[in-house]
Amino acid sequence: MVVGDVSTGTELAVIGAGTGGYVAAIRAGQLGMDVTLFEDDAVGGTCLNYGCIPSKALITATDVAHEAGNAEEMGVYADPEVAVDEMVEWKNGVVSQLTGGVEKLCKANGVEVVEGRAEFQDEHTLRVAHGGQGQGSETYEFEHAIIATGSRPIEIPGFEFDGDHVLSSRHALDFAGEPDSVVVVGAGYIGMELSMVLAKLDVDVTVVEMLEDVLPGYEDDLARPVKKRAEELGIDFSFGQAADSWEETEEGVLVRTEDEEGNVSEFEAEKTIVAVGRAPVTDTVNLEAIGLETDDDGFIETDDRARTELEHIYAVGDVVGEPMLAHKASKEGTVAAEVIAGEASALDYQAIPAAVFTDPEIGTVGMTEAAAEEEGFEPVVGRFPFRASGRALTTGHSDGFVRVVADEDSGFILGAQVVGPEASELIAELALAIEMGATLEDVATTIHTHPTLAESVMEATENALGHAIHILNR
Amino acid sequence: MAREFKLPDVGEGVAEGEILEWLVEEGDAVTEDQPVAEVETDKAVVEVPSPVNGTVREIHYDPGSVVEVGSVIVTFDVEGEEAAGEEVEAAESEATGEAAPGAAESEATGEAAPGAAEPEAGGEAAAKPAPGDGAVETGAPDSPAELEIDEGRQFAPPSVRRLARELGVSLATVEGTGPSGRITAQDVRAAAEAAAAGTAAEEESATRPRDSEPADATPAPEVERRDRTLATPKARGVAADLGVDIDQVPAVEEREGEALVTEAAIRQFADAQQAAQTADAAAVAGTAGEREERVEYRGVRRTIGDRMEESKYTAPHVSHHDTVDASRLVEVRAELKERAEAREVKLTYMPFVMKAVVAALKEFPFLNSTLDEEADEIVLKHYYHIGIAVATDAGLMVPVVENVDQKGILQLAQEVTDLAAQARDRSIALEDLQGSTFSITNFGAIGGEYATPIINYPEVGILGLGAIQERPVAVDGEVVARPTLPLSLSIDHRVVDGAIAAEFTNTVMEYVKNPALLLIE
Repeated sequence: MVVGDVSTGTELAVIGAGTGGYVAAIRAGQLGMDVTLFEDDAVGGTCLNYGCIPSKALITATDVAHEAGNAEEMGVYADPEVAVDEMVEWKNGVVSQLTGGVEKLCKANGVEVVEGRAEFQDEHTLRVAHGGQGQGSETYEFEHAIIATGSRPIEIPGFEFDGDHVLSSRHALDFAGEPDSVVVVGAGYIGMELSMVLAKLDVDVTVVEMLEDVLPGYEDDLARPVKKRAEELGIDFSFGQAADSWEETEEGVLVRTEDEEGNVSEFEAEKTIVAVGRAPVTDTVNLEAIGLETDDDGFIETDDRARTELEHIYAVGDVVGEPMLAHKASKEGTVAAEVIAGEASALDYQAIPAAVFTDPEIGTVGMTEAAAEEEGFEPVVGRFPFRASGRALTTGHSDGFVRVVADEDSGFILGAQVVGPEASELIAELALAIEMGATLEDVATTIHTHPTLAESVMEATENALGHAIHILNR
Repeated sequence: MAREFKLPDVGEGVAEGEILEWLVEEGDAVTEDQPVAEVETDKAVVEVPSPVNGTVREIHYDPGSVVEVGSVIVTFDVEGEEAAGEEVEAAESEATGEAAPGAAESEATGEAAPGAAEPEAGGEAAAKPAPGDGAVETGAPDSPAELEIDEGRQFAPPSVRRLARELGVSLATVEGTGPSGRITAQDVRAAAEAAAAGTAAEEESATRPRDSEPADATPAPEVERRDRTLATPKARGVAADLGVDIDQVPAVEEREGEALVTEAAIRQFADAQQAAQTADAAAVAGTAGEREERVEYRGVRRTIGDRMEESKYTAPHVSHHDTVDASRLVEVRAELKERAEAREVKLTYMPFVMKAVVAALKEFPFLNSTLDEEADEIVLKHYYHIGIAVATDAGLMVPVVENVDQKGILQLAQEVTDLAAQARDRSIALEDLQGSTFSITNFGAIGGEYATPIINYPEVGILGLGAIQERPVAVDGEVVARPTLPLSLSIDHRVVDGAIAAEFTNTVMEYVKNPALLLIE
């Protein structure tokens, strides 16, 4: 039975309850708007359900096991037994705690959460189809809308995700029992994070990558310690290989790749995981109905107020462009809500920090030395290796370094790169420094707690000024 | 479709420019490459061409504004691409076309600079309404005028950047007073106040009053306006005679909830208004009796200042003085002058001195060098580009004659004349003001014998020329009158010692004393 159309009015419609969408909805609720948030899958989106959070849970859990089993140097002898099923269950618990929290926050801020897929009918109307037969549909009339439909893993032709042999990153975070072996296609940050988790669970991992190195886009000296560690963990690499096809075998899958010259290689494993990037989701909201087109890369174009070409329709998060990072989406969501509320908000951030949760971690923010030169600065660089950090040595992880890039004349900090323990946390201080317009001296003269890894940030700025204490300054 | 146009990089090392004049007005049609503005950089005046065919939608800076390279200075509507929303456009042109009530300064001077009219809804000091400020359509009518986010790194904390947006201040126009020039909240507030203080300060450089703007528009001190006012018919008559808006006159009392004004109150208000108007006019005109006047230190003046400071505080200067008998030079020049005139070239002493200097530079190569402090190396130049100091209305400029060693006297004379003329009328190209290896300053053209010139850093030497005129000279035990040329050479003592300076000067003097030597050069 079709219930028939019911029309509801809302001041702000937010399509997609991922990080960009739910943040926008909550902020708009705080600002007193009447907000409806539409989600057809899971509140929290990719980040909470299939990305950042579950992957970090598994990374930490496997690290606990791996570290315990590899601490003979510290006099610890253990051979932890890992129940992968329970590990996944624990991870799921973390996820549902967080998504439940988001739902509560939405409710507490007066945000109406509606389940169902929303698509535009015209410039001021959304049609929301509810899952399942006979559920009917509703229409919502809105004054403003925010498109926050996110992204999905890219499928290579011939490698359509089946959840059995060919897994996406999302599947890979939900396996019921670990496979004996996998072929991971893609050595980007998702591929590397997953590969290292699996390797620490004693899975045979082979990574095939089309480009020539791990973590394309990151500077060589940042990627090097990660690759070194991956090799220590027994991960095999094969570079310059484009995934071509696969077939089912007795063991599981046989993945065929081709190099530039057309030479074919074969890799056999129980499963294959394809992690070659993500593409924006723009095909579910019927953009044609509002005359909005995507750019050449499939993204929705927005201005520095998160506005699309239509004055009353905004877009935030992965759907508007790289970098596809939850914290960027979150910022855009906040700004979109504030701009709609008439505040003088804008996307005026100076840098977006990024973190890779490999072993060791990588954290970056702002300009590299080369980028600073291109921007017309005369960069000065300060570096501090973790092997000179007391705290790093006591954690047993002293690979890597902190590097800061500053303008020589003014001392303004322009960028930073960290590879090593807790790089994802350390980068936050440098992001703050950049947003504040802090100089090298500002950071160098701030007392940092001893003994901590954060001292390395201070020492790197001192090194740029030529007077780090714990290394020789060049 | 609106197309934003940013102040382009008009020349090497130029970071900002002052908008001298707009050559177009809002609503004008423009063609590609048509000059739209004259911009004075720290080195020259350049015309900025339109990048598109279209119409001028909005001019973002008034004449006199100092704008950083990369800031949006004008928005065009591009032909063929659809204009973004007629409503917005209409609203904007209305706002800018009409002299905004309350803009007392602009009317008092009979001058409404383009773009000076502010939409009042913008609140405090909303300086520049930005394109796409679609208050009309967004349903957020109270939002302040929206500023574009400046590109490139901004050295201001996020809270200050937000404040700037709230006050409608473009960070690109704010000079930071924090460490290393970081922009503080105070800087932004000061900039907003300066903008609110209005166009008065900018009048100086905006020379053309708008003739269509008679000065009789209502001058309005900041007064709230009521909707209704009670007054006797006679009082209303007085108000009409005095040109007073009765709804602005402070109420004497309230009657049944309505404000009441009397004839006396109206007269008082009219007097106060007139006084305010006179004061405004006086402030703008800079009436006699002012003991001090403040002139902005910027543009060419600022550049000269910065360069002088850098030179004097970097290079330890030593000046060496001498005088040379210029009798032969005077004769030779007099002989050649007519021939030069026949070729329509004005021949001065300068080309001869330039040639003499180049000959001496070849003998003493360290005078034609720069000190590379970073590399700890002295860079000897094997080319001879001579900078010639020229006094212009805007201040000192030093155009450069390239490869002086390879050019003849007449060619040099012609080039010096041309470059000096271009420097004076500010049409000189930036590249003609760069790249000299040694400089000459001819202060004697105005008068005087000796000086202590400041080196055109990073060069290491500059030769000053006094006036060539007859002076007493001892010849064979007798004092006779001879035309002499006083020379003042300043050198960077880090690179050149006094002995070398003296020898260099001696060589220059050789050639001046005996110009025939130039023939064998």
